[in-house]
Amino acid sequence: MSSPTAPGLTQEARDYLADVDRELADLPAEERAALLEDLELHLAALAEEGDDCPVVIRLGSPAAYAEELRAAAGLPARGALAPSARLAELRRVAAEVRAHPLAGEVRRLWVELRPAWWVLRGYLVVAVPCALAGQWDFPVPAPLGSDELGVLMVPAAIAGSVVLGRRELAPLAARLLTGAGAVLALVAFVLAADRTSYPSYDAGYTYPAVYDQAVGEHPLVSRYGPVTDVLPYAADGTPLEDVLLYDQDGRPLQVGFQEWWADGCARVLRQPLAADGVPVPHAFPQTYALDPAFGDPALCDATVARPEVSLPTFPEQVPTAATATGPTGVAGD
Amino acid sequence: MDASQLLKGVLDVAVLAVVREADGYGYDVVRRLRSAGLEEVGDASVYGTLRRLYQAGALTSYVVPSDEGPHRKYYAINDRGRSVLEDSGKTWRTFVDAVDGLLSGAPA
Repeated sequence: MSSPTAPGLTQEARDYLADVDRELADLPAEERAALLEDLELHLAALAEEGDDCPVVIRLGSPAAYAEELRAAAGLPARGALAPSARLAELRRVAAEVRAHPLAGEVRRLWVELRPAWWVLRGYLVVAVPCALAGQWDFPVPAPLGSDELGVLMVPAAIAGSVVLGRRELAPLAARLLTGAGAVLALVAFVLAADRTSYPSYDAGYTYPAVYDQAVGEHPLVSRYGPVTDVLPYAADGTPLEDVLLYDQDGRPLQVGFQEWWADGCARVLRQPLAADGVPVPHAFPQTYALDPAFGDPALCDATVARPEVSLPTFPEQVPTAATATGPTGVAGD
Repeated sequence: MDASQLLKGVLDVAVLAVVREADGYGYDVVRRLRSAGLEEVGDASVYGTLRRLYQAGALTSYVVPSDEGPHRKYYAINDRGRSVLEDSGKTWRTFVDAVDGLLSGAPA
């Protein structure tokens, strides 16, 4: 802080003035300026006296000086007014809420539901750490990967939680327990919300460029749901490979990407490449290969067999010429 | 009992009485209070009290420039201050008499 009225102040006095100024920072500018002017003149007067006693010894610490100044001047203590006013307002609102008849009903209901919370709490004590460790196995968690351990631990935890709930606890212990329970419930809620949300379709997969133009995530939907592959058969039941399919307007047929496989392994789409190196997305059936980034390939079925289909039987006496142009069975996946 | 605790309650009376005697600037008031025997009075308490009495309209202030050294802000008592001092003085005497009576064991 500059000191135009008392240029003779030592650095020590200036620092002291600046420190007190900071302690008074919450006061209105006019009030603060008046108090600081007095202090500045006081420091100058002390300096004039030729007393070499350090300012901090003479006047006390800047914080103590500011506190004494506030008290004597009838000003609020530092930061005392705003928080206490806010706290008083909060208390008033809380009291109003407590006084509401509905609050009494809620309290009664809460007391009646407490045993249910004790049971849930015991379950969550086992389930939440398991879920956090990635050993989630609904409905019985599997601590250390063991379902049997889960079957033993869940009832034990529930029993413990109920015993704890029925017991009268010291106020501090009760408060700690309530806090821990709230944290547990919150974590469980976040985990549950996370798990029920739809899995991300983008993680780890690259889509063929043509999909970008497709409408939505499923470019082709049959009456049974999204179509992710087309399995063509010849009229005599021979499975066909690498059949190019086009729609009624001659556009390449587009199907959705298959996310999920019966063996739980991740796969990547391997589209055949044309001579110019451009992938051909409408060659059916689609070819998927195991994702090299996915764990142990030994756990996956090496080949995913075509599902069994009931092929229609055509009349046997078909002219040789007609075979070439005859109907071709196409089964949607 | 710590004298500084007692002092807080009577600082208004003491400061007004000092200033009534003669106008004074902050440090001057501090020194006069101390030489009168109120040795434990804090500098900040005196400045805070002067500020509050000034705000309450019991004191006026004026600045006296100085050729050598800092200028000085003098405080002077006004009519309002005098009437405040008179009332406070009466309260103080009543209080002191009552406590004196208690201390000497006479019936209050």
